[in-house]
Amino acid sequence: MTGMHHMLVHFPLGFWALATLMILVGALLPGRMAELSRAALLPVLVLSLLGALAAIVTGFLIWPLEANLASPLARNHILMALWSLGIFAMLTVLVWRAGSAAFDGARRWVLVILALIGGLFFAAAGTLGGHLVGAPTLFSDVLGLMGWEVYTTFYSPLWVIAMMVIIGIALGALGIMSQRRTG
Amino acid sequence: MARHYKGASPWLVLGLPVALGLAWITQGTGVIENDPERNISIPDELTMPLQVQAAYNDEQIYFRYRWPAEQAHVYHDMLRYTDGKWVRHGNSRPGPDPDGTYEDRVAMLVDDGGVPDFGRYGGYITVGDQMRFFSDSASPTDVSAHPHLGQQLGQSDVRKYLPATRTDQSDWRSVADADVLAAQREAGYFLDLWHWRAGRSNPIGASDDQWVGEYRNSDAGSGPYTTNWDAEAEQPLWMLDPEETGKRALRWEDVTSGKVDFDGLYYLSEDNRTDFDPDHDWQEGDVIPRRLLRAPEGSRGSIAVHGQARWEDGYWDVTLVRDLDTGSPLDDKIFTEQGIYDIGIAVYRNATGSRWHYVSHPYTLGLGRDAELQAVAFEGDAPEWPDDWFEMTLFYPGQVDWPLLISHAHAGAEDIAEGTPVRARHSEKQLALYGVEMEFNDAITTRWLMTLIAGLIAMLGVTLALLTTFRPTRLGDRS
Repeated sequence: MTGMHHMLVHFPLGFWALATLMILVGALLPGRMAELSRAALLPVLVLSLLGALAAIVTGFLIWPLEANLASPLARNHILMALWSLGIFAMLTVLVWRAGSAAFDGARRWVLVILALIGGLFFAAAGTLGGHLVGAPTLFSDVLGLMGWEVYTTFYSPLWVIAMMVIIGIALGALGIMSQRRTG
Repeated sequence: MARHYKGASPWLVLGLPVALGLAWITQGTGVIENDPERNISIPDELTMPLQVQAAYNDEQIYFRYRWPAEQAHVYHDMLRYTDGKWVRHGNSRPGPDPDGTYEDRVAMLVDDGGVPDFGRYGGYITVGDQMRFFSDSASPTDVSAHPHLGQQLGQSDVRKYLPATRTDQSDWRSVADADVLAAQREAGYFLDLWHWRAGRSNPIGASDDQWVGEYRNSDAGSGPYTTNWDAEAEQPLWMLDPEETGKRALRWEDVTSGKVDFDGLYYLSEDNRTDFDPDHDWQEGDVIPRRLLRAPEGSRGSIAVHGQARWEDGYWDVTLVRDLDTGSPLDDKIFTEQGIYDIGIAVYRNATGSRWHYVSHPYTLGLGRDAELQAVAFEGDAPEWPDDWFEMTLFYPGQVDWPLLISHAHAGAEDIAEGTPVRARHSEKQLALYGVEMEFNDAITTRWLMTLIAGLIAMLGVTLALLTTFRPTRLGDRS
């Protein structure tokens, strides 16, 4: 299953990199290329999610779950992969919902912010995957300069976890109420 | 037709970088802390350097070790007169001894190919199930009741042992039959252990000589120290000879000063002791070493200090010497010209003992043949050391045992089964960090999972908040 995973991860990584580039071009540049980027973004995002699901499923089959949960590198790889999936799922939902208006006004900056976060996460997921097969890259050093030693598990103190959940619930509730108000 | 709406602000998206940014900034905190109840004490530094040289002549082999240490710890296991009683200080405990009364040490495992896994995985193969000072260490009662370890060897803890000495790798109790153990030893399935101690052997120019098989055993003969304690009378057996030394005891303030005069008096030995005088007017703070040093005998006395092992200017410099062929092939690994050997070295410093040491990867040692550490042939009585060291990085190994490494819980178990050496996959820094994390594995796994889920919840919440903003309308459209 290792080889299958290595093959399949090219799809989400490629599509996510492409989607990030398309969002940046679509949001920041004028002209034909930007129009094309905006128009073609949704299918790229959908394909990235399909590729990610396949890659993640095969990734979980490489080692026993017990080993995945006991390895700091594997834990970090899983977290970054699932958070990448989460970010690009957000982008997919928002772009799908807004349609051709996804880049209008301040929306574009929403897409840019999410794309940059997602770019950081999938780059981290990829480099951690390289570590796991014994091929580390200099990007690990970049992550180290950003305060994260990748050989230690990424976890947060309880108060930060609580803050993240509170932010999620509060914004979610705000969104639901807003939807009810606007019908 | 598009219609006007008053949805949530698109800038609610900033809730996500805030949430994830907090997670990033604070990651790795809130779990790892010392817990003596669980035998957990994390050293401030996880790696340290060690320099090594080796040389040999026709008769003997020399190993020179040099490593940094803030100060020398030469006092070990002291009896301090306190409130009319002799109170022990400096026995094994998690982390540094608060009084500094725990000796520095260097230990070297040696193999001649009889234990092939040692050359690939080093000392990890000797870390078995429920080792002493692990959080799940076997109870002394259970070990004492064990027919071999307890009743035959008289031990009450689980120390280093080799995998094939157990029939079940996940159970320290499953010691192989005595005839199997004997056959393994005959076949060379044991590790030689050179064991120099700054307090319990160095003052008399000696080193301990041990071997690892089904336990960390001592070579035949007597070691460089014995216990200075009369359990019945609850007092020392011996004290300093006032006629020889001008005093009967050391002073606690000297012992804990952090300074040592290597040419002065800081130990109790056969040459400076006399019978303990219980009628002496002992004073608060008088100190008598709980160990009496004596010249080791037999196979256990094969290793000696060459010259003087000293700490100076922030470095220990220790040279040990032994006959190439000790004549004890069941206790020692015999060195020969054109031989290749595997070694693994551990250093204890900062008044720590037991498992709170720094260990090396395994390295090859060559006598006349290419190897990572090249022993230099010389003629004469003593080597002239060049300024050319073999540099090692030692690391704190944490609580990682062999049963774990070959289990489903280790992603590299298949690599081990295939014989891939540890150095091909893990750096010293990586192993040190992993070793620390394994001491908190359950807590870290739980916290990691909570972090992962919390991040996804934040993403979901932000998505819901943005749905109205991302309705299929042109911003500013009016219905």
